[in-house]
Amino acid sequence: MNDIRIEPKLKEKLEAFGLADNNLCFNCGNCTAVCGLTERDLTFPRKGIRHLQLGMSEKVNQSVEPWLCYYCGDCSKTCPREANPAEQMMSLRRYLTSVYDWTGLSFKFYTSKLWELGALLFVGAIVLGLFGLYHATSAEPIIWDLRDGYVHLNSFAPVMYVHYADWVMAGILSFFLLSNLFNMYLTIMRSDKSLKIPLHLYFTKIFSIPLHFATQMRFKKCDNKIGFWFMHLFLMSGYGFMFILVLVLLPWFQIDQGINWTTYPGYYATFALLYGSIYCIIGRLRKKDEVHRYTHPSDWIFLIMLFLTTLTGIMVHVFRYYLLMPAATYYTYAIHLAIAVPMLVVEVPFSKWAHLAFRPFAMYFADIKKAALAIKK
Amino acid sequence: MTGNNNRGVLFKEHSDYQFIDAKVNSNTLVIGGGIAGIQASLEVANAGYQVYLVEKSGTIGGHMAMFDKTFPTLDCAACILTPKMVEVGQNPNIKLMTLSEVKEVRGAPGNFKVKIEMKTRRVDIATCIGCGICTEKCPARAPSEFDAGISQRKAIYIPFPQAVPNKYLVDKDSCTYFKTGKCRVCEKVCPAGSVKLDDKDSEIEIEVGNIIVATGFKPFDPARAEQFGYGRYKNVLAPLQFERLINASGPTAGQIKMQTQDKKGKWVYSTDGNEPESVAIIHCVGSRDHNYNKHCSRVCCMYSLKFAHLIKEKLPNAEVFEYYIDMRAFGKGYEEFYQRIKEEGVHIIRGRTAKVEEAGNRLKIRSEDILAGKLIEQNVDMVILSAGLEPRENAKNIAGMLDVSSDETGWLTEVNDKSAPFVSNRPGIYLAGTCQGPKDIPDSVAQASAAAAVVLQSIGSGKIKKYVADTTATSL
Repeated sequence: MNDIRIEPKLKEKLEAFGLADNNLCFNCGNCTAVCGLTERDLTFPRKGIRHLQLGMSEKVNQSVEPWLCYYCGDCSKTCPREANPAEQMMSLRRYLTSVYDWTGLSFKFYTSKLWELGALLFVGAIVLGLFGLYHATSAEPIIWDLRDGYVHLNSFAPVMYVHYADWVMAGILSFFLLSNLFNMYLTIMRSDKSLKIPLHLYFTKIFSIPLHFATQMRFKKCDNKIGFWFMHLFLMSGYGFMFILVLVLLPWFQIDQGINWTTYPGYYATFALLYGSIYCIIGRLRKKDEVHRYTHPSDWIFLIMLFLTTLTGIMVHVFRYYLLMPAATYYTYAIHLAIAVPMLVVEVPFSKWAHLAFRPFAMYFADIKKAALAIKK
Repeated sequence: MTGNNNRGVLFKEHSDYQFIDAKVNSNTLVIGGGIAGIQASLEVANAGYQVYLVEKSGTIGGHMAMFDKTFPTLDCAACILTPKMVEVGQNPNIKLMTLSEVKEVRGAPGNFKVKIEMKTRRVDIATCIGCGICTEKCPARAPSEFDAGISQRKAIYIPFPQAVPNKYLVDKDSCTYFKTGKCRVCEKVCPAGSVKLDDKDSEIEIEVGNIIVATGFKPFDPARAEQFGYGRYKNVLAPLQFERLINASGPTAGQIKMQTQDKKGKWVYSTDGNEPESVAIIHCVGSRDHNYNKHCSRVCCMYSLKFAHLIKEKLPNAEVFEYYIDMRAFGKGYEEFYQRIKEEGVHIIRGRTAKVEEAGNRLKIRSEDILAGKLIEQNVDMVILSAGLEPRENAKNIAGMLDVSSDETGWLTEVNDKSAPFVSNRPGIYLAGTCQGPKDIPDSVAQASAAAAVVLQSIGSGKIKKYVADTTATSL
């Protein structure tokens, strides 16, 4: 049996991640019992809250449960102590994102607004710098007039260069995200020596990942929260479409003249992103739904970046196709990328957006653990 | 702080009271006829002084009259209470005013002028012979208050067989005559001519020297906590309903039965029902919950354990589950009682139940077993919601009328929680029982006797005892 190490300051540490008064909880178990997602051997939120109260940092780090919560807010609504279990779970997810991140950047971004904004500005500056560098060294001139009756965006941002830059960005992003995922695997699956996990389970349960990634079907199990599930799926589908359009189909998507088959999914994705981000921003301003009641600075930054990315994307489209204004198109395009790229680089591997990978993998790990427990019994 | 106590001796600076000369009227008003009001009235009356006991309902007895047994000794509640009730009824020094409410209090400590509204019984107590023909012939029915709604009574009725005064009364709200203008059957059949449906309410004014407030509590309405399904699902009971269900004078003659359909298809508790095979008792309903009441209601853990025992006693094969947050067995003999219940095979699980759902004919409850860290989903036949105690709806009005303080919840506040836990902030007005905060029977009785002692001190000395609010104690 290993010694259990106690980290008395763990609660204080989590305050920067949005944890309010963790001591309010008197461990009645109402939150666990009211939760539609909790299972016999995977109970939450109370257990995680208890581990925080006791400062059991290893248990907290190893826990997969915070990722199983989709934040319906029933626990917070019925909590007899107003201890806000749902937001405690959210704080744990933020904290765990920083635990999995070996670079330490996630910790900095979550605990300091200055760091997160600074990183966004830094990456944004690099993007603008790349535009400057290209035009300083390139022999191809920018076409500032409406030659042939259309805006020559590709003379300002040649699609293949943007396309390659996208791949470089995706490569960097994937490197950090995948290495953090591996770290998550080590933290959750390798540190708990008490449970022997047969290797074959890693293969038989692998379908959990695409399933939960694509459907978020567990969200539906939250009582009376079908609306939130649909909203989340809708927003995510917009993001997914846009991701494919930009990363795979950019040569077809970013053409100078006319429209083609990529335009329609583009419209769908734009609408989904716009609707989703505005819905969440209004929700967080109104604070009516439990899920929107408490907002950490990282939530605001993410939502605002997403909204601005969508807005500038729409503006580029309008300037280019409808108003036929080359200069406005080019500048907005540069700003669009100077927002979208930092958002992706900062948010996906290190901040709020990391949940797109951590959540389905956590469900995968949870399924493996449950199966291993069943075999043990 | 200097002054004289009533023997003319200079009292010490650390005394927290002083005596003020006043012409103290030797009459005392007791507001509320529950166990605390009964006890206080008897103490004062037995010392030879006049007591006015004002009770809002048609009988004294209060909530205790509804209880089956008392914890931890399992004495029959009625066996303790009803002799005291009879004593109140027979004591010449006690002027009992039922169906009455205090409307106004004027004057100063030692000489209060109190206006009391006396609602008419519509039955003349002096001539009613208690034959019961009126009830027999009455066509109108309403849920019985005494049986907490699990049985029916007539519109003209005696609240319960041991009621004091043991006389009939007419409930205007359920009476056919007052609803439709026709009927008056009770008047016609009464052999003594005692039913007087046209009687009017009256008002009197009395003068008293001291007032003891014993207005009691209101049980938390479990329907407010919707997640437990009370009022929506069958066989989900409030605690007073279970007290009546298990009581020999209740609708099932003391047998624990589940609801069954009567001839008209209505779901009722009757002897025809089936016995439950499993019962869950859920603690802290409406107590220790920021959504309802923050306070601990003190008595629920113990009465819940009592229920578990009574179920095991009558249905030894039934499984009983207690879901609790913290077990508060704080009183004398209470911890021993708790251990005894455990030995009787009751399943005592640490964890608050979050919901009760209907599952066919049964009830599905969902809890976390905190100590095992496991989720529990379980089907049972019957659920008892251990609802807490709340101040009465009009507690703030009572406090305002008497010019005494109450806390944010509505409990009347004592002037000093250690040295004067039954004394209001206004001289001449004392607190007894649950109007001051949740408490059990022994504590209510002790507080009532203590309040009576200070009243008698005042009458005997002709002085009013004025407590000085404790300025050193930090506010809770």
